[in-house]
Amino acid sequence: MDHFPMNWGRPRNDALDAYGTYPIAQRPYNGPTDAFSAGVQHTQQPIVTGTSVLAIKYKDGIMMAADNLASYGSLARFKDIQRLHPVGTNTVIGAGGDMSDFQYIQNFLDQLMIEEFTEQDGHSLGPSEIHEYLSRVMYARRSKMNPLWNSLIVGGFKDGKRFLSYVDLLGTTYSASTLATGYGSYIAQPLLRKAVEGNEDTLTEDEAVKIIEQSMKVLYYRDARSLNKYQIAKITADGVIVSESRSAETQWSFAEGIRGYGAQTQ
Amino acid sequence: MPDMVALSRQQPQERQFNPYSENGGTILAISGADFSVIAGDTRQSEGYSIQTRYAPKVFRLTDKAVLAVNGFAADGNMFVKQVRQRLEWYRHAHAKDMPLRAIARLIQTMLYARRFFPYYVYNILGGIEDDGSGAVYSFDPVGSYERESCRAAGAAQSLVQPFLDNQIYFKNQVPQPGMTHPKHLPLGTVGDGLEMFVVLAKGSPLYGLENFDGVQEMTSTHEGERIFVVRRNLKRD
Amino acid sequence: MFLTRSEYDRGVNTFSPEGRLFQVEYAIEAIKLGSTTVGVKTDEGVVLGVEKRVQSPLIESSSIEKIMEIDDHLGCAMSGLTADARTMIDHARVTAQNHSFTYDERIKVESVTQAVCDLALRFGESVHDEDAMMSRPFGVALLIAGIDELGPQLYHTDPSGTFVRYQAKAIGSGSEAAQAELQDKWHSKMTLKEAQTLTLRILKQVMEEKLDRHNVQLAQVTKEKGFEILDETSLKAIIDEM
Repeated sequence: MDHFPMNWGRPRNDALDAYGTYPIAQRPYNGPTDAFSAGVQHTQQPIVTGTSVLAIKYKDGIMMAADNLASYGSLARFKDIQRLHPVGTNTVIGAGGDMSDFQYIQNFLDQLMIEEFTEQDGHSLGPSEIHEYLSRVMYARRSKMNPLWNSLIVGGFKDGKRFLSYVDLLGTTYSASTLATGYGSYIAQPLLRKAVEGNEDTLTEDEAVKIIEQSMKVLYYRDARSLNKYQIAKITADGVIVSESRSAETQWSFAEGIRGYGAQTQ
Repeated sequence: MPDMVALSRQQPQERQFNPYSENGGTILAISGADFSVIAGDTRQSEGYSIQTRYAPKVFRLTDKAVLAVNGFAADGNMFVKQVRQRLEWYRHAHAKDMPLRAIARLIQTMLYARRFFPYYVYNILGGIEDDGSGAVYSFDPVGSYERESCRAAGAAQSLVQPFLDNQIYFKNQVPQPGMTHPKHLPLGTVGDGLEMFVVLAKGSPLYGLENFDGVQEMTSTHEGERIFVVRRNLKRD
Repeated sequence: MFLTRSEYDRGVNTFSPEGRLFQVEYAIEAIKLGSTTVGVKTDEGVVLGVEKRVQSPLIESSSIEKIMEIDDHLGCAMSGLTADARTMIDHARVTAQNHSFTYDERIKVESVTQAVCDLALRFGESVHDEDAMMSRPFGVALLIAGIDELGPQLYHTDPSGTFVRYQAKAIGSGSEAAQAELQDKWHSKMTLKEAQTLTLRILKQVMEEKLDRHNVQLAQVTKEKGFEILDETSLKAIIDEM
């Protein structure tokens, strides 16, 4: 006899019991199993990748930036990829890592927003809910040893409150007033912190744009997987705006003087 | 063809997704006759990078239980979430808050249930037992646990635990001739955590806690057990 | 009367137009055929007493088991279709052990009673893909006695899955007279000793046979010794003193 009441009176197949949330994890699964499941290959490494995403808090909300490059190894394969994706009217997610996994994430988030909208129940998913949901998905996938290979930043503004949080392929989450993924966490994060920490409530939009531009330029100089073509997103009380692609003025003449490696003869 | 030889000698490389990470930080707890102090820093890091300066790893569970989790932050947060869910179910099923020793045992069973895909988390549970005594329970990632007077875990465990052994258990200390070691530590001399929870048993004195820097009471009445939180800033290095 | 019922008293999961589940009501009737069982709560502990109907002199009276242990601090007496009680007590035991394994504490009397009552309601047709359930309600009522942090407690459960806490309760064939007597004699200052005597006196009153140590069984739950079924020597001593 089954002595665990949570298993009583329920169909044993979760497909028939989508909302039976009582300890699903502890419930035995007696549904059909995939005979070939052992042969299914899971993502072991990212293939087409995006690099850093930057995000800061400022006076009016959140500002984020990411370039338009999707690399295939060291090859700059796709140069017009948008890595900042608005979800609903109050949120933007930015992604580094595997771009096909990111497109899958965009897809199911859009699907989710449609489902929530059609409920017409007066609720709408804001940035914190989207981040919570995303972190559940990311953690669940890592626990199945089948991760979505991304570092994601969720930025938003809702009900007068700024929201900025991170989640990655391990399900690790954190929030801070400045965030950066990938190479940007080494190169840009110190710059962002210096400029933003303590000034979150006074930084104007123009100042925020300057900080972001400066950081993106440094990243373009330093990060071999970056592109001088990027977009800036801002999320404020007025909603979401993702800019057209832009580029930074750069100056490479100094490179002529570099000695010590490369093709120089002397 | 020297290159070819070198190439063939290469070992086959196995690449596998590593579902774990280590997010640094230190937690520690001390218990006395009628109190318990549970502390943890709030920094979350990976390698040499600071991810955030404020990601608390000490969580209030009930009126008299506080749990500190250290190790892989994603596992830690999920574990706390699930413990809280179990505490709520217990409250509904048995019409009372779960006693501290029951929480300790529950944590063991929850950790051991994942023996073959462990939560990479070191837990320290502090609080007040049903008999009114202060208590600290410490766990390893797969659920071994014991009740102790003090315990440190995490990055600085190897620095903090010997200090605690010396100060709490009086290891390597000889009492003055004709004197004995005090039985329990007065609260004022206990360490300086970055986020420190103090749980006082019903009717216990404040031990000068009211004069602490940045102390905040979390309980609204003075009748039952009282919980205080002390917040301190990190050194911004 | 039975004519009007006939339409609705077959299905265990069909309400009659008056809002009744006849099979459950019949199950409750079945208990009234069972032997008398008495439970008395005092501040010192709870006493359970049952009548063992030894219908033939060839029956080994010691093999009639109507009081069972659930855990160190929990006991249970039954009346009705006692075979059904085995399933329920088995469930109660597993629930109690599971609780002490998971929480390192004794399960509360109310919680174990609730667990038994959850089971009592699991009758009817099984859903697609489900393990077969009990096809009819259990035909037994239980008196669950125990001690926990709230002190000594006595619960009564019936086939409808309802449970109620009592100071003193009688079930089974002689329950009406016995309950009236309990109402008359029970008082809150009662000692365990008094409860033992009261239980036996009441059983004696309602039993057809002459009461002796072979045709009654007495058990108690106390703070000091937990659940115990009194052996024939101590039972005899109490009977002699009565």
